[in-house]
Amino acid sequence: MSAHRPATSSGEPLRVETLPTLPGLGSLYARGAASSGRIAAGRALPGLPGIGAGRGDGEPDGDQPLTLPDVALHVPGVPTANLAGHLHDYQRLLHEPVTDVLPAGYLHVLAFPLATAVMVRGDFPLPLLGMVHLANQVELHGPVRVGDLLEVRAWSENLRPHRRGVQVDLVAEVRRAGDTALVWRGVSTYLAKGFHLPWSEAENGATGPAEGEDRAPAGTWVPPLPTGRWALGPGTGRAYGAVSGDRNPIHLSALSAKAFGFPRAIAHGMYTAARALADVGHARGEAYRWTVEFAKPVLLPGAVDVAVTPSGQGFEYVGWNGGRRQKHFEGTVTPL
Amino acid sequence: MATRKPSGSASRTTSRAATSAASEARPSGVRDAVIVGGNRIPFSRAGKKYSDASNQEMFTAALEGLVARFGLQGERLGEVVGGAVLKHSRDFNLVRESVLGSSLSSQTPAFDLQQACATGLEAAINVSNKIRLGQIDSGVAGGTDTVSDAPIAVSEGLRRVLLEASHAKTVQARLKALAKLRPSDLKPLSPGTDEPRTGLSMGEHQAITTARWGITREAQDELALASHQHLAAAWESGFFDDLVTPFRGLTRDDNLRPDTSLEKLASLKPVFGKNLDEPASMTAGNSTPLTDGASAVLLATAEWAAARDLPVLARFVDAETAGVDFVHGHEGLLMAPAHAVPRLLARNGLTLDDIDFFEIHEAFASTVLTTLAAWEDADYCTGELGLPGALGSVDRSKVNVNGSSLAAGHPFAATGGRIVATAAKLVAAKAAETGKPARALISICAAGGLGATAIVESV
Repeated sequence: MSAHRPATSSGEPLRVETLPTLPGLGSLYARGAASSGRIAAGRALPGLPGIGAGRGDGEPDGDQPLTLPDVALHVPGVPTANLAGHLHDYQRLLHEPVTDVLPAGYLHVLAFPLATAVMVRGDFPLPLLGMVHLANQVELHGPVRVGDLLEVRAWSENLRPHRRGVQVDLVAEVRRAGDTALVWRGVSTYLAKGFHLPWSEAENGATGPAEGEDRAPAGTWVPPLPTGRWALGPGTGRAYGAVSGDRNPIHLSALSAKAFGFPRAIAHGMYTAARALADVGHARGEAYRWTVEFAKPVLLPGAVDVAVTPSGQGFEYVGWNGGRRQKHFEGTVTPL
Repeated sequence: MATRKPSGSASRTTSRAATSAASEARPSGVRDAVIVGGNRIPFSRAGKKYSDASNQEMFTAALEGLVARFGLQGERLGEVVGGAVLKHSRDFNLVRESVLGSSLSSQTPAFDLQQACATGLEAAINVSNKIRLGQIDSGVAGGTDTVSDAPIAVSEGLRRVLLEASHAKTVQARLKALAKLRPSDLKPLSPGTDEPRTGLSMGEHQAITTARWGITREAQDELALASHQHLAAAWESGFFDDLVTPFRGLTRDDNLRPDTSLEKLASLKPVFGKNLDEPASMTAGNSTPLTDGASAVLLATAEWAAARDLPVLARFVDAETAGVDFVHGHEGLLMAPAHAVPRLLARNGLTLDDIDFFEIHEAFASTVLTTLAAWEDADYCTGELGLPGALGSVDRSKVNVNGSSLAAGHPFAATGGRIVATAAKLVAAKAAETGKPARALISICAAGGLGATAIVESV
């Protein structure tokens, strides 16, 4: 284990806290809602109605700098031998070929509870609920198969300003148990609106991947010729929620989404990115880099026009609303 | 009959270098397959005259008409090959069941095949290949499709629950499986024309190709008008008298609009490509309607036909299929025939100028127009097709001279049989008139980025 002592991308060492198994997402959401409520109560964050009343004990004061926990959560042995049925459900939902090889999006689903466990810690400074998924970068270094025993770790890093708040990276890494070689690494970038960093400066680049899109008036972006169209039914969020465990209320129903300011339920960003990854097909190879930046959320039910096209050494993809010409997401898939 | 020569690799290389592509492609010992004739039922717009006719009823009718026309009652044919694109699972032996319901000998074997809209032509390719190889002396190729009587499937959720319940060994296990049923699972699934891998309908795919090639609305409407006028003239002249048997009170294709005009076609609203930058140009008038129908073609050796005093219209010379990479937008969904035809021509030592009739299936008017435009485009032909330059221009007066799918309609698997019979009759008439051999090129695009093409030649 010492060969890959966890540290943030900028080299700051992290304390390792080992958990016996991956935590269940259901209980994490309950804790996340509670801690979001605490943080909201301390900061008077709008847009979080109905969340448990905050106790207001010990959350950082608004003028103090936000700090991330210097902890990496670690599960040394995650079995996958019993996951074939679940994997195949995922593959059918995302239009992946049904095999015993875990797509990069499935490894994201697998590691997601541990990353979520970081975000619901008492010392994590931002609320889980209401955070906006801005972007994701994943590298898969080789095939992971059903039966592989995996080691997963997750931590947060790179807290930085965004025009509309602060953004943070949740990093997760997957290795084969007892092996130092990285097989999968995912960096999920989230925005917490309404927060700010006292030390933020212009040169820190208060930019978010979605920022440019946010500023572009609707309808000015000219989409490419589509290569496909996804007809997403009203149950898309529930279906991905069931298979991924990510049952964030904004994805489940119009009613629960309205509580968070959305007119209808919205598709999981990772569902759209994973559909695009599946659309690339065999050309992605067994090892690839997969990136996505999210713009306007996909309202359900809805149709998404997509273009998944060869570009350079790999593929680029973009999804948009065909009628309103609003970009939903874009990204790349590049063989490694 | 030519003797078979051993084909050692050395001599093969020599012959490849020394002889033309045409002679190399015809191994010694291969016989000719000839087209004796064809028969179809009139094609009918979905939900009209044939709304209660099944695929088997329609194909049996087309087959029985062929049997009657050529006196094949009780005859044991080498094979009957056909298929349907929209097929009930109970129709697993659709063609064999049709044979058993016909007056052909029940010792006539049969099988189903399917290649989307190219099903009928692919059936003709299969039968002619068996004949050419000496495996059979006669056979029928055809196809049938009904949109009116299309299978409706249960949802994936209901299907899985029912399968699990039927596999359950105990009542409890069965109830447990059934308890997984959700109200949304009860919604039935109608068959769609969406490409499974892209989610775009065929019309949306063709709208993208149309935009890419800059095909105008006017050009599409003109082609649609010509299709109706040509088909109407062919019916008037009696061309279809020995190609069609009435069915369910219908004696002519009921999609045919002899009195349509450019003004009427121009008044229709576009239905595909409305989200694209280019103005949408594809309408219900220049796109093929959903249609019901069936067709069959009799192929044989010249000797088999002569022994029965049957006519011979044409030789089924050769065929070529192609698939294109449309999933990531590299090529248009319906552009595969543009790839197949140059290969087919080259193998037979022919150019576009050697073709008297072009039978290009009108899935959409713009499918014909993009295919013709592609062959005229030097960059496309060199870059995409690997040719030394543009394949060439097609004289538009040789294209679909007796109309095609825009006017007749397009019951998917039945279109191949309609076109093969029409092409055979056209070249026979032309050769009789001029005393010179005549050739037709058949080109059919299909879902999945597929295309099938063939050459028939007068005998």
